[in-house]
Amino acid sequence: MSRKLHLTAFLKPPGEYLAAWRHPEVDPGAGVDFESVLAFARTAEDAKFDAVFFADLVGVPLESQDVLSRVSVVNDSFEPTTLLAALAAGTSRIGLIATASTTYNEPYHLARTFASLDHLSAGRVGWNAVTSLNDGEALNFGRSAHVAHADRYARAEEFHDVVVGLWDSFADDAFRHDRDSGVYFDPDGLRSLRHKGEHFSVEGPLNIARPPQGRPVVVQAGASEAGRRFAARVAEVVFSGVRDLAAAREFYADIKARAAAFGRDPGSLKVLPALSVLTGETRTEAESKMDTLRTLMPPQVALAHLGYLLGGVDLTALPADGPLPDLPESNQSRTAQAEVYRRARARGATIRELAAEISADTGTVVGTPVEIADRMEEWFRTGAADGFTVIFPYLPGTLDDFTRLVVPELRRRGLFRTAYEGATLRDHLGLPRPERGTVP
Amino acid sequence: MDAVSRFLTFGALVQGSGGHIAGWRHPEAYSTGQLDFGFHVDLAKLLERGRFAAFFVADVVAIWGHQLESLSRTGRAEFFEPLTLLSALSTVTRDIGLVGTATTTYNEPYHIARKFASLDHLSRGRAGWNVVTSVVPLEAANFGRAEHLEHSLRYRRAAEFVDVVRALWDSLPEVLRDKESGRYYDPDVLAPPHHDGEHFTVRGPLNISRPPQGHPVLFQAGSSATGQDFAARYGEVLFTDQPDLASAQRFYAGVKRKVADAGRDPDRVLVWPVLAPLVADTEAAARARVRELDELLHDDVARRLVQDNLGEVDLTGHDLDGPLPEVPEGNRSKSRRDLLVGLARRENLTIRQLAHRYTGGSIVAGTPEQVADRLETWFRERGADGFNVTFPYLPGPAVDFVEQVVPELRRRGLVRADYEGTTLRANLGLG
Repeated sequence: MSRKLHLTAFLKPPGEYLAAWRHPEVDPGAGVDFESVLAFARTAEDAKFDAVFFADLVGVPLESQDVLSRVSVVNDSFEPTTLLAALAAGTSRIGLIATASTTYNEPYHLARTFASLDHLSAGRVGWNAVTSLNDGEALNFGRSAHVAHADRYARAEEFHDVVVGLWDSFADDAFRHDRDSGVYFDPDGLRSLRHKGEHFSVEGPLNIARPPQGRPVVVQAGASEAGRRFAARVAEVVFSGVRDLAAAREFYADIKARAAAFGRDPGSLKVLPALSVLTGETRTEAESKMDTLRTLMPPQVALAHLGYLLGGVDLTALPADGPLPDLPESNQSRTAQAEVYRRARARGATIRELAAEISADTGTVVGTPVEIADRMEEWFRTGAADGFTVIFPYLPGTLDDFTRLVVPELRRRGLFRTAYEGATLRDHLGLPRPERGTVP
Repeated sequence: MDAVSRFLTFGALVQGSGGHIAGWRHPEAYSTGQLDFGFHVDLAKLLERGRFAAFFVADVVAIWGHQLESLSRTGRAEFFEPLTLLSALSTVTRDIGLVGTATTTYNEPYHIARKFASLDHLSRGRAGWNVVTSVVPLEAANFGRAEHLEHSLRYRRAAEFVDVVRALWDSLPEVLRDKESGRYYDPDVLAPPHHDGEHFTVRGPLNISRPPQGHPVLFQAGSSATGQDFAARYGEVLFTDQPDLASAQRFYAGVKRKVADAGRDPDRVLVWPVLAPLVADTEAAARARVRELDELLHDDVARRLVQDNLGEVDLTGHDLDGPLPEVPEGNRSKSRRDLLVGLARRENLTIRQLAHRYTGGSIVAGTPEQVADRLETWFRERGADGFNVTFPYLPGPAVDFVEQVVPELRRRGLVRADYEGTTLRANLGLG
């Protein structure tokens, strides 16, 4: 069978673009309207996406009220694991991936929640393990500042191993429900974790049968050195924000080589770079949609977004018509910061110009279905991607257009499935079901 | 509230294939129901036909016992996590309230505020939170603690926890979503708690707008003195194990007085004793059903059950058909220990008899009329405003209750014929 693209639909209702909620065709309250979110998920399911995928923050970013009051997603969204459970009941085939932080959670709660979701969905769940990036989150959990980058990853690695160990508490066939003998489960099929580590001490076992997939699929996005190491060891889906083809190939080769060095089959790790798309019947139509979207962006938000990419800097204090000065290294996402500097230096832009440019150039690929399919195919065939984490600037418009126009084009080229072949998210992604007790 | 406008309300305390510890073994029980979502959907729909106000899920953040020989004979080592189960049910039910247990001992208020707000939005106003403090030792070990917090400290933490959660629910009280002006909300209404207390430091705001009910309904079960004080301050539905009408009346009167002393309206706080109905055509047939369940209780399970509920005592080697030994006080649930020791001493029970009384303690067995009589008496005599109903096994006894007892209660004008409103708060008459 020929290799096929894997696609996840990265949904941030009402859309990834910060001003998406103002779009005339958008339900501005979609972030907390289940019928809307369910409709998006069903559209993705009808198009045979591998999964829908939800981001998460456990707090509102530290920004001025003038900025925050003009955006929607960070202020008013469903909590992802409760949303996933509801979607599990409302869909039947598509995978369901939610983000959850290793920084402000307890591994027992998290292992349990995702195991429960995997049972509710009959094996369709994935966990996107993130280390928290945002000081707005820290302050909701009694920490004054964010944990340093390296510590966060050390905790994340241990957290992950505890979660996986808890999922393996029971043998796959431990539960007998044998009413005649009175044996509900076989005690020999139970193993307590008894973990004592640097960050966690967890006795176990988990209070739920082993998940249908053995373990929910582990997703990871780190692009830094520590992030790549973590991903190469444990991740089964890796997504990255890399935007140019050369860098994407470098990332792809690097992460697969690292996975092999950990003794893993590189094919058991799928690299799905982020791809924000906006398409239309013609290029003019697509560009006009993008222009409409851009007009909705308040300048206050554009400037704040730039500050966020730089690691939480208040740029309103700096001269807007001056150049971007050197700022301290970000404790948040170093990759994002470096990308902004590269662009600032390359163009010699002022802060105002940079803010406008970055808010206008969302990294969204705007084009005809053929152009977008060309790009996806090139990345797929030249060692840059196993598929894509598809990002939608506003919903449902850009999702509907993608499934209506781009997906059929991908199918014509034999690049994407026409029907689901398996039942679980692992089946969709072509990932093996992990044996109990194997440590990645 | 006067007698005319007072109505009985029900929650269903759902524990997989049954509330009786050996219920899963019953020939008519759906013994693999515990992790079967479809089974839970059918059950929730059945309860909606019976106009139950709430689908109630208990919880322990651990397996429920550590002695494998007894634990492995029970369904207490596999559960759905409550918030995920209830969220899934929210989309396939329409009216029933969805109440989940979550501990204040091993959670963070921000996560809990957020998940219940999310459930309330998903269900359009049907969420309830059963606030508990953790007492099962195995929970502590899953969160890096050697043992549980001491009783009064646990409740201090719980009180601060609930204060923070309520402040977070209020933190984004309304949204504008004004596309024209570009304001999603008015910054003047935002009210982040900026809480800095003994146990928690939480800046806020919550990242979800105020729940449709304002606050999800707070359920509470503490029966100890500290627990009752806490319940009087925060609880809106108080459920409790009560062995007989007289003791239920004492609890009812006492806790309502405490509610009034706390400056709250006692009519806006409901008392729900736990009740396990077993209905049959004749009283004798109903009693036979209870004996069937007793016989399904394995010796190891009987022994552990008594021991685990007493706390600091080891019953290994004690004859099940002999008397209960001395039981010292410990750092566990005091009310339950006192209840069981008192019962054994008063009636001179063997360990096995105590186990049967415990597992069958809340069982009311009889004809539909007899069960309705019992409910009516407790309701009219102010021992109960409603009941948290646990079915010994499922689905049979739930079907019987909905099809036989509920219509009888309706004939007597004790229950409402239909859901009054669209929210849990409205359907409980809590406005």
